Amino acid sequence: MLTNIIQTLTAALGAAGFGLLFNVHGKKLLWIAAGGGLGWLVYLLVEAMGGGLFWALFLATVTVVTLSEILSRVLKSPVILFLVPMLIPLVPGGGLYYMMDALIREDTGGFPAKLESVAIQVGAIASGLIVMTSIMGNFFTIYYRRKAQKQGK
Amino acid sequence: MSENRTFINESQRIVACILDIGELLLTSGAEVMRVEDTITRLCDAYGFVSSDVLTILSSIILTATAADGDIITQTRRIKSRDTNLIRIERLNALSRRVTADPLPSDALSLAIEDAARVPTYARHWIFLAYGFNAAVFTLFFGGTMADFLPSFLAGLGVYIYLQIGGRFRMNSILLNTICSALMALSVVGMHALGFGQHPDKIVIGNIMLLIPGLALTTSLRDLINGDMLSAIIGFLEALLKALAIAIGAAAILTRFGG
Repeated sequence: MLTNIIQTLTAALGAAGFGLLFNVHGKKLLWIAAGGGLGWLVYLLVEAMGGGLFWALFLATVTVVTLSEILSRVLKSPVILFLVPMLIPLVPGGGLYYMMDALIREDTGGFPAKLESVAIQVGAIASGLIVMTSIMGNFFTIYYRRKAQKQGK
Repeated sequence: MSENRTFINESQRIVACILDIGELLLTSGAEVMRVEDTITRLCDAYGFVSSDVLTILSSIILTATAADGDIITQTRRIKSRDTNLIRIERLNALSRRVTADPLPSDALSLAIEDAARVPTYARHWIFLAYGFNAAVFTLFFGGTMADFLPSFLAGLGVYIYLQIGGRFRMNSILLNTICSALMALSVVGMHALGFGQHPDKIVIGNIMLLIPGLALTTSLRDLINGDMLSAIIGFLEALLKALAIAIGAAAILTRFGG
């Protein structure tokens, strides 16, 4: 439990820290922190419910994409300003390192499993991002068209 | 941006300004779609009869036909890109404003210069942020409080290596690999002095600093928008960089302990 709390907090702090490196200022950093923490929370919840690595990361990415698409419309900023820092905690840095570690140690037994795990994680993030960005894009197109129609009448 | 330009007419100046916006967007890390979209909208706003723009990660090509029949083609070669999300935001706001109310070219180029000069954090804050981020991600990946300070110091080191390395004209993949290896060396050194409990967690926290998160994300967004070429170039570049960074650190750590 304590590990989970620490991870969620550090995910939030880390996301905001990356926002700072990408030159994001002010209140937006708080939103980025919230999004980074929320994404990891979703990951932990799905994982705890036995959802497996792929679905946990997929749904965490979906959450983060949804939040950043909405924030970008509300605060009138490009999506990537929120999306990139919020996604950072989901990036499998650890998996990547242990994979390369196994490769260099010539641990031919351990390497394939680690490669597979990294591939699943990258695949989950990529598919979550692709699916949700497309959905949100269409949603907002329809939403704005409706709104324009209403105002026209 | 090219300096000291002389053009024969206003249309050419406007096209150059529009390309300035496009170039600044692309070099600040914007998606190809956003660049092409912004350029097209601006050309429409300035009354060009037609405009065709092709953007890939390394080049922008624009041909615009002015109302008087003048056909103008200008090209920009993009050599390096970095990450400045606020600059993208400000250029975005500027292009929205200009689309609604076009400025003459001299006012436009001043406005572009103004938008490009974004408030940046003072260098010492960025320096500290490198250390902070590395330390935070070390905790995130399961490091203990004993790993916090060494990771912080190693992160500060990464900033210094990147600054020094940036002065040499070096391939960015190679530069990142060298930075990552130097970082791993410093971690091994600190560990040998009894400083830091889990060298691997410290190294992972620091690897996160170098991972090309923006390039990965924008390449996937380019893919969604149908810009296959940019998507593939961007994704491969990011993937190679990530692998190279991990291998640089892992090579040092497996060789010298950990």
